[in-house]
Amino acid sequence: MIFKMKYKVSYAEADRLIEKYYDGLTTGTEEKQLQKFLMQSNLPDRFKPEQAIFGYFDHKKAKTHVSMLSYMRWTAVAAIVLLIAVGPQLFVSANQSNYAYIDGIKVSDMRQIKTQALASLVDISSSKDEVKESLKSINDTELIKQQLDVFSK
Amino acid sequence: MRPIKKYLILTLVFGLGSILPTLQAQSDLQISKAFDQFGERKGVVMVELTDEMLNGYDFSLFKSLTIKDNPSAADFIRKCLLKDEVGAKKVKQVVTNGIATSIYLQLPRKGQFYRLILFNEVFKPEQ
Repeated sequence: MIFKMKYKVSYAEADRLIEKYYDGLTTGTEEKQLQKFLMQSNLPDRFKPEQAIFGYFDHKKAKTHVSMLSYMRWTAVAAIVLLIAVGPQLFVSANQSNYAYIDGIKVSDMRQIKTQALASLVDISSSKDEVKESLKSINDTELIKQQLDVFSK
Repeated sequence: MRPIKKYLILTLVFGLGSILPTLQAQSDLQISKAFDQFGERKGVVMVELTDEMLNGYDFSLFKSLTIKDNPSAADFIRKCLLKDEVGAKKVKQVVTNGIATSIYLQLPRKGQFYRLILFNEVFKPEQ
């Protein structure tokens, strides 16, 4: 049978440990003993500053309890903030990705944009065949040729 | 009848990808400055088409800039192309009276994108 003797720190012993603690000479075990001692209630007032110090450390070590509801609430808030901040940019950039400027005036009518695109290809028609020829050196040649054909029709 | 000079730059990007990387496919090129600087001016037509509009074509980006009678813009474009042709394959260059009137560059592949730049100077009779 094994008996465990509980070792209680006396006031005098606590004073000695506190002094040692302030000198930075305490071991880990001694600090734990001191902490246990200071966690007691009804200690003389002279131990109050140390109680505050060790109490603070103890408070820091305590696990913070986060409720699921609070977590979800914050996640929802973060999602809304993100949506407000990034959403319009994505929407705007997607919308701005198809456009034409004619004499400085923005055109967003898709038919008109495509007409302008085809008109620009007519102007470059002399280069078109050379483009097709040279594309032979690029992979996926057939695919690219098809695309150029689509635009030159 | 006075002929009108027309300068055209065409940038084509091939490859599959999401819209945002596609839009940035031209950002590292000097020629993008020409689009920024002249795209919204009078006498200029700028067109940009991307994925959704080119759906089914497998083009990722189509950008063109057509500038009428603006020699200084043409000089600026030529300077941009001089920088962009570093590391690029110059497929074609037509020089008339010491000035490049037609340039076609195949740029090094950028990730999944193939990029091409075409520049053409054309003369059209005034209508």
